[in-house]
Amino acid sequence: MMADASKQVNLTIDGKPVAVPEGTTVLQACEQAGSPVPFYCYHPGLSIAGNCRICLVEIAGTPKLQISCYTRAAEGMVVSTTSDKSLKGRKDVLEFLLANHPLDCPVCDQAGECWLQDYYMQHGLYDPKFNETKVKKPKAVPIGPTVMLDAERCILCSRCVRFTDEVSKTGELGIFNRGDHAEVGVYPGVELKNNYAGNVVDICPVGALTDRDFRFKCRVWYLGSTPSVCNGCSRGCNIDIHYNREQKDRPHIAGGARIMRLKPRFNADVNQWWMCDIGRYGYKRLDTHRLLLTEKRQNGTRHPVPWGEALDAVGAQLQKLREAKQLDQVGVILSSHLTNEDLFAAKRFFHALGVTQVVFQRPKSGAADTLLLEADRSPNARGAQALGLAEGAEELLQRAKQQQLKTLIIFTQDLTELFGQARVAEALKPVEMVIFIGPNTHPTAQLADIVLPSCAYAEKDGTFTNSQGRVQRLHAAVLPAGESRPEWMIFSALGTKLNIEALPGDAPALFTALAKAEPAFAGLSYAAVGDQGAWLANAH
Amino acid sequence: MSAAALKQLDAAAAEILAQYDQKRAATLPLLRLAQDTLGYVSPAVEQWVAQQVGVAPAHIHEVVTFYTLYHQQPVGKYHIQVCHNIACALRGGDAYLASIGERLGLKPGQTTADGKYTLSAVECLCACEQAPMMQVNDSYVGPITPAVIDTLLQSPEQLTELPLLYRGTVGLQAAVLSARFNVRDAEKIETYVRDNGYQAARKALTEMSPAQVIDEVTKSNLRGLGGAGFPTGKKWSFIPKDSSKPKYLVVNADEGEPGTIKDRYLLTKDPHRLIEGIIIAAYATGVRKAYIYIRGEYAYPAKVLQQAVDEAKKYGFLGSRIFNTDHTLEIVVHRGAGAYICGEETALLTSLEGGKGFPRLKPPFPALAGLFACPTVVNNVETLACVPSIIQRGAEWFAKLGVPKAGGTRLFSLSGHVQKPGLYEASQGVTLRQLIDAAGGVAPGRQVKAVIPGGISAKILRADELDVKMDFDSLIAAGTMAGSAGIVVMDDTTCMVRALWYAGKFFGHESCGQCSPCREGTGWMFKVIDRILRGEGREQDLDTVLSIAGNMEGRTICVFADAAAWPAQSYIAKFRDEFVYHIKEKRCNVGAQPAVAAH
Repeated sequence: MMADASKQVNLTIDGKPVAVPEGTTVLQACEQAGSPVPFYCYHPGLSIAGNCRICLVEIAGTPKLQISCYTRAAEGMVVSTTSDKSLKGRKDVLEFLLANHPLDCPVCDQAGECWLQDYYMQHGLYDPKFNETKVKKPKAVPIGPTVMLDAERCILCSRCVRFTDEVSKTGELGIFNRGDHAEVGVYPGVELKNNYAGNVVDICPVGALTDRDFRFKCRVWYLGSTPSVCNGCSRGCNIDIHYNREQKDRPHIAGGARIMRLKPRFNADVNQWWMCDIGRYGYKRLDTHRLLLTEKRQNGTRHPVPWGEALDAVGAQLQKLREAKQLDQVGVILSSHLTNEDLFAAKRFFHALGVTQVVFQRPKSGAADTLLLEADRSPNARGAQALGLAEGAEELLQRAKQQQLKTLIIFTQDLTELFGQARVAEALKPVEMVIFIGPNTHPTAQLADIVLPSCAYAEKDGTFTNSQGRVQRLHAAVLPAGESRPEWMIFSALGTKLNIEALPGDAPALFTALAKAEPAFAGLSYAAVGDQGAWLANAH
Repeated sequence: MSAAALKQLDAAAAEILAQYDQKRAATLPLLRLAQDTLGYVSPAVEQWVAQQVGVAPAHIHEVVTFYTLYHQQPVGKYHIQVCHNIACALRGGDAYLASIGERLGLKPGQTTADGKYTLSAVECLCACEQAPMMQVNDSYVGPITPAVIDTLLQSPEQLTELPLLYRGTVGLQAAVLSARFNVRDAEKIETYVRDNGYQAARKALTEMSPAQVIDEVTKSNLRGLGGAGFPTGKKWSFIPKDSSKPKYLVVNADEGEPGTIKDRYLLTKDPHRLIEGIIIAAYATGVRKAYIYIRGEYAYPAKVLQQAVDEAKKYGFLGSRIFNTDHTLEIVVHRGAGAYICGEETALLTSLEGGKGFPRLKPPFPALAGLFACPTVVNNVETLACVPSIIQRGAEWFAKLGVPKAGGTRLFSLSGHVQKPGLYEASQGVTLRQLIDAAGGVAPGRQVKAVIPGGISAKILRADELDVKMDFDSLIAAGTMAGSAGIVVMDDTTCMVRALWYAGKFFGHESCGQCSPCREGTGWMFKVIDRILRGEGREQDLDTVLSIAGNMEGRTICVFADAAAWPAQSYIAKFRDEFVYHIKEKRCNVGAQPAVAAH
């Protein structure tokens, strides 16, 4: 399908003149013209199958209706998406698609986001003629750890099969048998078990493939959606965070869970339409072992204390060291899980205070794959680098062990995963005050004398910079859990205590200051970053 | 089924793989190899094939479940496959199917406890002239009589391949395509060469340029005899002269249109005529490799054809430096696996490439991107069989044999209620009545009621429409089509509801399932017709059938849905009263004809 995209073709769609690059399909042109055509099998990220036939349009001079997903826009073409003929064509196709469909909407998890339901509103027959016994096919078949198949609901659009052939290249799925007995399935004895399996649920336009994790947790009309960025690796896949927006009136949903699922959000330069399952189900970590209260160690054991008391203790410690000119005995281990804004606030704060031993640490890396997943399992190492922060906690741990540190402030990361429990414990032991700031507890956090609970990424406004150098925006989808606060707010409070020049008071203001102060971010703004991100000055 | 047993097939598999320009294309023959050796296609076989051709096992399983000839469970020593389509039904096929089932205590799909017999009801095997017939393992057997059933059950090893029923010409001075059908050992190269065989190919390759060959074929008015009637010379001219990719000729020998038997005759009686046609076509289009896709059930024709290809190679008509020219040609005989849709040219290509027989979106057309995405000309067996005569005797002579826009003669298959069913050759301009008369008409005391003029897809004609000429354009003008020239005659004992039931069953069974209107529509339509036939019809059912037919027509990737719609539309239009009677009275108003009206 080679075409010269620089050449434009002019056509008329529903009476409106449209110019599109050569090679554009009629379906895409219709979308551009504001006359969207329904479709099932078409997916911009997959090859064209042309099998569902719902995208039929009338093209002047062509006796038969044409599928707009496959037909190329041509100079002078006159397309109607609303003529009686094309409307009837689509209505007829929808009638066929529903002929053997079980119509079990009330118990279908797809209800509310089902394209059969959606298109029926406009293209429904409302007076069905089908009066025969429907073809029976397997229902509620777990075809892998995360995906459930209902073959009766399937409209055989083959999107999922094309996905496993063309995108994940894992080939587990096929359409077996023929005619109206054709059914989608996994190869007998094989599971749909690859790191991209969840995407088949996203692209299934009907209730044939549902997410075993999400199934029956929440009706989709109770979901709110907030654009964000996955924090599972340095790729920074664009996502939408789906949360229970009825938390107040329906707190019982999914046992009170706040975040229900993550969905990939299209970004041509980052993740296209996809995300990996490690990222997709990573939301579960968010509220697991969550730190909800500030804590302080007294007489060997830690107890919850009010924020004020904990901050006083930290402030007093830093003030003591400042007065004693012992700030060279303070170490700070930031995390590549923090936003650019948080890292910038940290950098400003410690610089103003006079602490110089400030580094950032990545989490333990994992295996990368060739599609999206990257070895660095944190979202913002590139951002930390761009802010000029040194990397690696090992040297500081060494100094701590050698009794050269009186205070160590550790953000987010579980250092024991990287350096081992014994080594971390041994290193932290001589340190007068270990402060942990992060959203979740773990063996490292448990060694701290002071714990300040911070917000998880889904509770934050801000930006991450992915490994390509793309600055991408995240928005708070849910309120901070417990008493957790964003890191920048903690620095702000400590700054007041320590008479440090006031830091900007929220994420947007911080980003403005950051863009002004940091050459790598020069020229960027939230407006420029938008919902698709923007490159660092030196990204390429 | 052990890995060791499959390991032993590796050498044979390598030979098969070597015939194909892409490994995946060996999928169907490798499955056949394993099934022939091991009895059925087990998961181990699927995985072995998947590994051999380099695709995911899921895609091999798709293929295995798509085609009817692969067995996922062992079948009996004798696999009885009784035709359950219209032509056999008109001659009592269903009664014999029931009788065999009764005597073996089997329903279709079952195997006797001793593992000796499996009984299946299958769609048209394209031996309609010998109706009612069946296939037992690889052999075609028919017509079925009580005596044949006795042999089947007592000494099945004595069953023999059914004979051909070539009946001669109608209104021709001399036979063209069937000229050698009565020659003894006609399929052997010695007789073919003796009868001036391969002289046309010699002439084309040594005395004519490719352009001259195309020009001659164009002037002959030869049109595609698979059914579409596209001008052959024009089709050849679409093949790009300069192509960086290899070019292919694919011969459509996937005869499957119910009521059609012609290619089986050409393949078994005069295979060298086809090969010679292939040599000339390949020369004209710059092709160096041809694949003959022959329907899977045609075991005997495939065997004869393969022998002929081997002979031609031995004689130097195939291979390199044919007739001492630079022309090179290799022919691979490729067997299908049981799917009517593979007769559609793009489905045939997808199938040949090792996939399910899914028709392709067009454009691109095969002439630019066909087999392995390379320029490909797809021609029917009969079309190519005309070519040697055109080159030898000239375009003008050939054109004159036919009508102004369709040159030459055709092989007409006559079946159903005629007294002398069989294969006839006649001019394109012959009338339907002349053909039926030549076939002895219907039995004394009976009247012609309806005629399918061009295979089951063609719209039906009534007794008052028999004077139509059988060329493409005349039949289009008569509201139907010439199709594959498979003529099925129904006399006045035929129940038209039941006749449509067979068409509906056929299309429901054969829809590939790709496009939603056809996948859902064919099955739905059949269910409604079945209900009417069972006496459970409702007043609105005819409107529903017509609406289903109209709504699938022209809305799909290929014309299969249209072909499924046409019988329904025409049977109801022309015999509406009969349908209405069925619905209102819950019974049939047609006199008793065994098995066709007996319901």
